[in-house]
Amino acid sequence: MTTIWNATFISELLLSMIRMATPILIVAIAELYSEKAGLVNIGLDGIMAFGSLVGFLVSYITGNPYLGLFAGAFGGIAINMVYAVCTIQLGAEQIVYGMAINIFAPAIASFIYKIYFGISSSLISAQLMKPLPIPVLSHIPYVGDVLFNHTPIVYLAYLLVPLTYVFFNKTRAGLNYTAVGEYPKAAESLGINVIRTKYIASIICGFLAGLGGAYLTTCYISTYSDGVVSGRGFIALSAVIFGRWAPGGVLLAALLFGFTDALQLRLQVLNSGMPYQLLAMIPYLCTLFVLAFFGIKKAGPKANGKPYFKEER
Amino acid sequence: MKLRNQIIKIIVPILAILLSFLIGGILIAAIGGNPKEAFLYLLKGAFGSKANVGESFVKATPLIFTGLAATFAYRCGVFNLGAEGQFVMGAVVSVYIGTTVTGLPDALLITVSLICGAITGGLWGFIPGILKIWRGLNEMIVSIMLNYVAILFMGYLYSGPLREGSVPQTAAVTAKLMRLFGLSRMHIGIVIAVVLAGIIYYFMFYTDGGFKLRAVGLNSTAAAFNGFPVNRLMILSFVISGAIAGLGGSVELHGTQYRLMSGFGQGYGFDGVAIALIGQLNPIGTVLVAYLFAVLRTGATTMQVGTGMPTSVIDIIQALVIVFAVAGSAFVNLPKVRQFIVGASFPENPLKRKKNTPDAIEKGVGES
Repeated sequence: MTTIWNATFISELLLSMIRMATPILIVAIAELYSEKAGLVNIGLDGIMAFGSLVGFLVSYITGNPYLGLFAGAFGGIAINMVYAVCTIQLGAEQIVYGMAINIFAPAIASFIYKIYFGISSSLISAQLMKPLPIPVLSHIPYVGDVLFNHTPIVYLAYLLVPLTYVFFNKTRAGLNYTAVGEYPKAAESLGINVIRTKYIASIICGFLAGLGGAYLTTCYISTYSDGVVSGRGFIALSAVIFGRWAPGGVLLAALLFGFTDALQLRLQVLNSGMPYQLLAMIPYLCTLFVLAFFGIKKAGPKANGKPYFKEER
Repeated sequence: MKLRNQIIKIIVPILAILLSFLIGGILIAAIGGNPKEAFLYLLKGAFGSKANVGESFVKATPLIFTGLAATFAYRCGVFNLGAEGQFVMGAVVSVYIGTTVTGLPDALLITVSLICGAITGGLWGFIPGILKIWRGLNEMIVSIMLNYVAILFMGYLYSGPLREGSVPQTAAVTAKLMRLFGLSRMHIGIVIAVVLAGIIYYFMFYTDGGFKLRAVGLNSTAAAFNGFPVNRLMILSFVISGAIAGLGGSVELHGTQYRLMSGFGQGYGFDGVAIALIGQLNPIGTVLVAYLFAVLRTGATTMQVGTGMPTSVIDIIQALVIVFAVAGSAFVNLPKVRQFIVGASFPENPLKRKKNTPDAIEKGVGES
């Protein structure tokens, strides 16, 4: 076992970590935008599934993975609007409705796939997005390849972290936004439109979660299959908790989960004799352990999960 | 008032089902099919022959178990999304017992195996319960993660230590649940499921323990003030919920599948949650909705063969039912709508319906 820890292995591992952390990071930030406005959305898995299908389909038809990625994001918005209307307007319980989305969205995705490609289709693959190495920086030995030789969406995902931080902590709009999740009534009395903010939150959340889903089928695996998301939405949800609702924390959490995912993949490739099922458990078990040791009780926006009715006293 | 609430609780899911079929029909027409023909094939597939009728009961059995598991947990205010993992773990233990223990009469072996399955499911359900109470973890995330662990563990077993032959699957258990009425594969598991639903119904609505459990689910703060052991009740409900799902896995193994292979139990956990929610968290409603889902699934195959419509049309209809049922329940609980419904019959006192009247508490899950 000692021989495998050489430079190639480690750089492959880190490269793969960055790649695997990306969808989790994007989707965790999606959830962050949702929860900061008081909307707990556990339908991320479903939104991702739909985003991955739309992304794959558009990229397959047009041959352009960038278009696919974009379309996937808008697919995510479409699905999340169902959630938004029912939870914001009707005051449906957010957890329950998120669950409904988790059942509903993959069913639609699977249906569309089967309609388009026929009932008994063989594996169909689309073009994957090509990495776009950043000039100069990507030539730095060791580090360059790991950090600066990715698809553009990866850079975008990591750029989202400081942007989100600045938005929530340094801008007036961001502080107003946060107020909606903390104490909507006070926010309303200060002239902040709570309902509108919640809708904006849902649009951002849907866009990013759809993008994260589409990433899977346009940048990672070149084909769509049911269950392609395999719980990443829930891992993203735990990344938000583990990251304590702060963009920087979420980044660390996503990298950690990305690392476990990369580790099990690399070990599978190495064919060390361990059955792959046991290796594949690593990310899920790590999530559990990390949460059990570092998760904290009662944190996050205070009005999280509560329906808001303007008329209510 | 109570009666009115009951009626609304029944009408909402029925409307949701009808609306979903309507949209399903439109969808079929949109992709070039004939909705009437498709639905006729669906009915024919579900009720056309004795074998098909039996097949619906076979398909309903595991769904009832996972539906009851979801119902039981949610009534106590905890969300068990891990029924699939508990179901799988129950079956894993049963396949181990069923293929290694010898010398016992079949009936005894099955009894032992079912009990062990339930215990294992209960233990698997204990993990999210204790982590929620002890570490304040979100039980949904924990139970989902445990689903993946359980499924991978099962995969490891049927392709590794418990593998039989060249195909990745375990050996078949020899002790099988009794078949019923000669209706295809229909077995006594459906009876176990329905009896269990009856027991849970009685427990929940007619016993002290059930009352406490529901009290925690409706308002855990109030329950704590009344001296109810909230934490213990939450863990207990998780354990029992897991045990129900685990028992379901054992029954499915001894009654229908006999062996573990890829796809065993897949999707039953989320289906159970959907069924429980559409059934308005009522054990009897759960059984009825599970049966409806099973009928749709049995009919779907015939529909696919007869009309070329993919079976996933049925998945969409099921998914729509949950979307509409949950939205509908929320809609009728909106303050304005409630006032309209209630106010129409009691015009002299429309303002009394504030948030915390007994009536609002009575309506149960909509409020928490």
